[in-house]
Amino acid sequence: MADAGVKPEVKNLLTNPSGWTSLLTFFILSLACLAGFSSRLFAVIRFESIIHEFDPWFNYRATHYMVTHGFYNFLNWFDDTAWYPLGRIVGGTVYPGLMVTSGTIHWLLNLLNIPIHIRDICVFLAPMFSGLTAIATYLLTKELWSAGAGLFAACFIAIVPGYISRSVAGSYDNEGIAIFALMFTYYLWIKSVKTGTVYWSMLSSLAYFYMVSAWGGYVFIINLVPLHVFVLILMGRFSRRIYVAYTTFYIVGLVLSMQIPFVGFQPIRTSEHMAAAGVFALLQAYAALQYIQTYMTKTQFRNFFLLALAGAAGLVFLAVIGLTWLGYIAPWSGRFYSLWDTGYAKIHIPIIASVSEHQPTTWVSFFFDLHVLIAVFPAGVWFVIKEINDERVFIILYAVSASYFAGVMVRLMLTLTPVVCVLASIALSKTFEIYLKDEQTKEEKEKEEEEQKEEKNDKLYDKAPKAKKKGEERTIEKSKKKEKEEAVGLNVKSIVIIAFLMMLMLFAVHCTWVTSNAYSSPSIVLATYGQDGTRNILDDFREAYYWLRQNTHEKSRVMSWWDYGYQIAGMGNRTTLVDNNTWNNSHIALVGKAMSSNESAAYEIMRTLDVDYVLVIFGGVIGYSGDDINKFLWMVRIAEGEHPKDIRESDYFTPQGEFRVDAGGSKTLLNCLMYKLCYYRFGQLQLDFRTPPGFDRTRNVEIGNKNFDLRYVEEAYTTEHWLVRIYKVKDMENREEKKLSKKIKRKASRKTSRNKRGSIKNKPKIVKGKKPAKTTNKKKKN
Amino acid sequence: MRALLFVCIFLIFEQYAECAAKKKEQVIAEKLEKLTEWSNRRPIVRLNGDKFRQYVKSVPKNYSVILMLTALRPERQCMVCKQANEEFNIVAASWRYSQQFSNNLFFAMVDFDEGSDVFTSLKLNSAPVFMHFPPSGKPKKGDTMDIHRIGFSAEQIAKFVSERTDIHIRVFRPPNYVGTMGVLLLFIVIGGLLYLKRNNLEFLYNKTPWGVASLSIIFAMTSGQMWNHIRGPPFMHKNPQTGQIMYVHNSSQGQFVVETYIVIFLNAAVVIGVILMNEVQHMKADAGKKRILALVGLGVVVLFFSLLLSVFRQKYQGYPYSFLIK
Repeated sequence: MADAGVKPEVKNLLTNPSGWTSLLTFFILSLACLAGFSSRLFAVIRFESIIHEFDPWFNYRATHYMVTHGFYNFLNWFDDTAWYPLGRIVGGTVYPGLMVTSGTIHWLLNLLNIPIHIRDICVFLAPMFSGLTAIATYLLTKELWSAGAGLFAACFIAIVPGYISRSVAGSYDNEGIAIFALMFTYYLWIKSVKTGTVYWSMLSSLAYFYMVSAWGGYVFIINLVPLHVFVLILMGRFSRRIYVAYTTFYIVGLVLSMQIPFVGFQPIRTSEHMAAAGVFALLQAYAALQYIQTYMTKTQFRNFFLLALAGAAGLVFLAVIGLTWLGYIAPWSGRFYSLWDTGYAKIHIPIIASVSEHQPTTWVSFFFDLHVLIAVFPAGVWFVIKEINDERVFIILYAVSASYFAGVMVRLMLTLTPVVCVLASIALSKTFEIYLKDEQTKEEKEKEEEEQKEEKNDKLYDKAPKAKKKGEERTIEKSKKKEKEEAVGLNVKSIVIIAFLMMLMLFAVHCTWVTSNAYSSPSIVLATYGQDGTRNILDDFREAYYWLRQNTHEKSRVMSWWDYGYQIAGMGNRTTLVDNNTWNNSHIALVGKAMSSNESAAYEIMRTLDVDYVLVIFGGVIGYSGDDINKFLWMVRIAEGEHPKDIRESDYFTPQGEFRVDAGGSKTLLNCLMYKLCYYRFGQLQLDFRTPPGFDRTRNVEIGNKNFDLRYVEEAYTTEHWLVRIYKVKDMENREEKKLSKKIKRKASRKTSRNKRGSIKNKPKIVKGKKPAKTTNKKKKN
Repeated sequence: MRALLFVCIFLIFEQYAECAAKKKEQVIAEKLEKLTEWSNRRPIVRLNGDKFRQYVKSVPKNYSVILMLTALRPERQCMVCKQANEEFNIVAASWRYSQQFSNNLFFAMVDFDEGSDVFTSLKLNSAPVFMHFPPSGKPKKGDTMDIHRIGFSAEQIAKFVSERTDIHIRVFRPPNYVGTMGVLLLFIVIGGLLYLKRNNLEFLYNKTPWGVASLSIIFAMTSGQMWNHIRGPPFMHKNPQTGQIMYVHNSSQGQFVVETYIVIFLNAAVVIGVILMNEVQHMKADAGKKRILALVGLGVVVLFFSLLLSVFRQKYQGYPYSFLIK
């Protein structure tokens, strides 16, 4: 619509206007890609080209496997080094899109004789895809509003922290490519709704297929698109275009999505996908009724139509419920159900509740991730509602549902971010259109945008272009002054523009600050800064994993909490018992039970699980807060869920209900395996002259149980800063039986001395024995 | 001779023991009968001081009692007690109507106003308290449920019961029809209104109410209402020493209820400012008025955005940037 308004003005431009606009568009988009790419490189520049965190390590390992063994071997890969002794069918439990994408890039580059290690492709994949996301967002916004808004949106999505948080270099995870797939699918869907051709809807279902192969979040698409269609029907906006678009999209998308081994028959067997099927049936009914309409009179039809439609909707609804009840359709899975019933996970699935990503979102995180956009984007919703059409219904539904989901779970902020960028850009571009408009509207608007782009790049290079920009602005002002018939005065206009530019500049600065400070730490390599600004690299994790790799037997099994499973497998190349793919709760609970039992009970569990080494993370020396003692309560909770007889959470608290590791802590805690493994020999270590020996810097207390020996395990390795401690589980003692016999012998020898006092021993037996005699009598008679 | 005497004594003693046992059996049977009768009438047996001593505390018994000590009278103003009572009722009813119902576990309660002596004898000065009285012996440390830590939801009570007595109660919550009824009522009201106004459905095509509705959902969600709903923070914080009232939680990890209202207001103000600036274009007013309105819109946007930023700064320690307002 806005495009139509702009077109005549474009014609007024001096020289070949379309060439200029496309050049500018190209230029701005490539700058946005560049800015997005380079602002994601903080971690690489500060540390090195390294895979971050936990899940990326698995993805990297899987990619590496695929590149070396081939795609089909990857699909059939049974990983016997994970989840010992169960193993994991990796090919069937993974979204392969990520691995295939980077594998394809690797193959292409090798074909062109560019030898590059697969690790580097993995590290830089997410930043590269952020550029593609920017282009997809531009296309989507262009379809929804105007090209100018699209450019704004592309710039926003390129640098907004809500998206950067999941796509910095090295964070090699599904989300990195999934957001591109999401935006591209939406763009193609809007396109197919607009055109109503099979071509575009086929393309959109292909993009949907890519999304399904990349991320579990595809469920969002397969619910949002039917919702869009459903609302369009309700609004009386049904048309042949929508019928063609949705029918093609659903059927092709359904068939394609079932090709992913991990998804399999879920699209026709689970409740999450039933909305799409229901809307598909409803759409058929609606179209059939419309066809019947041509053979009926108007009044006849009206009654019939409403009745039949309500009947069809009811029938679909009842069919879904009936099938669920009969067991043909699986009910909502826990992860999705907890989005609706927000208290559900906390009670029933502690393993979901324990993940910090699954917590609800405070307003601070919204502002932190989206800054000015979070305040401006509702205005975009308003404008879109005021000028509604078929495709804009979609973006409104997207905005409302995504903001709900982001409110429930921090992790889903990622799906909200693109729509916020789109809508905020619509609001801003509308404002800029009004306040920049004079005879050269379009060109200057784009100039402004370009300037913004430059601003965003400013902090990457230097601050010189700012002065230049101000100068430019003055020239614009001057040109404006020529026209005094404008409704809103030129001064007002320039004030408005300057104020908005300043806010946008602040946004760009904020984004850079957040990216650099909050989202660019690899979490495998830690950095501390001294008072004079010198940097101290703590590389304990890699040190420990490398030790494992070099000094232990190839087949040895390492027990650790599940957080470190992927890293041990990826860097240490050793068998793990549990890892970040938390598919088997009882297995995790068993490890939790071993960690929270005392040493001898834990030894039994470890023997049954064939554990050779135990690895714990201990932050007490350097004050690292993410260590195992701080996570320990979750281990207890998860263990308690499966073994309520043996592990009780209340035993690990003081009577006052505190969790403390100092002398006041509960006895159970001070003697459990996790405590002993973390604090073994720590009581002899004095870190500082002001603190007593055995002072835990993370919890700021002196530990309660200092002098103990380990009987069933022995210390194998402790890293430089004690961050990772590895223990070897001892073999069964060969001579244990002999020891026991010795004890018996001793007892026997003592017996002789006691036997002398046998008469004395018998006497109290009678006195004391009265009570038991009584009770035995009672029992007999009862 | 001595042996004979011993045997005699033993026999006498045994007789006595048998007698006592018989008497005990009788007592237990009586108690069980009474308790079963009461619990048939109501899943929770209401006890006063005397009954408590007779049926719960006195020794010969072979059943467990889960006792809730509470204060339900409205003048006691114990809001928690009411909720706890409801949950306790659910557990007791699930037990009463379950397949495995037997007479070795009873649910009972003592109200403070009916048996304050029970509270004094158990040295309690707060309510509600859930206690387990085992078949033999006195309640130990673990027999009092720690409601501060695990809460008193029906599931937790059932878990506590199964820990202490080995009886597993499957909690059956009577389905809460309030929500469904509410939704149904809402649909009926909306449907009725639509039916009444069926000749004039134009208002459905009015975009303003739809816009306001979707904006309010967005505002509510982006200001952390869901967080409040799940975590249940206090409305605001009052420092007990200084009496100073804090509206804004000073850590980025938490927030108060009033704080989200402030954020909603600030966000909405910015949005209204932006809309105002855009509406100026369509207004039919003279240039001066338009100019002023545009400036007002800009002022609102800038002012409230910088306020928002300053609130954020206050919460997020070490954040370096600000806009107009520190």
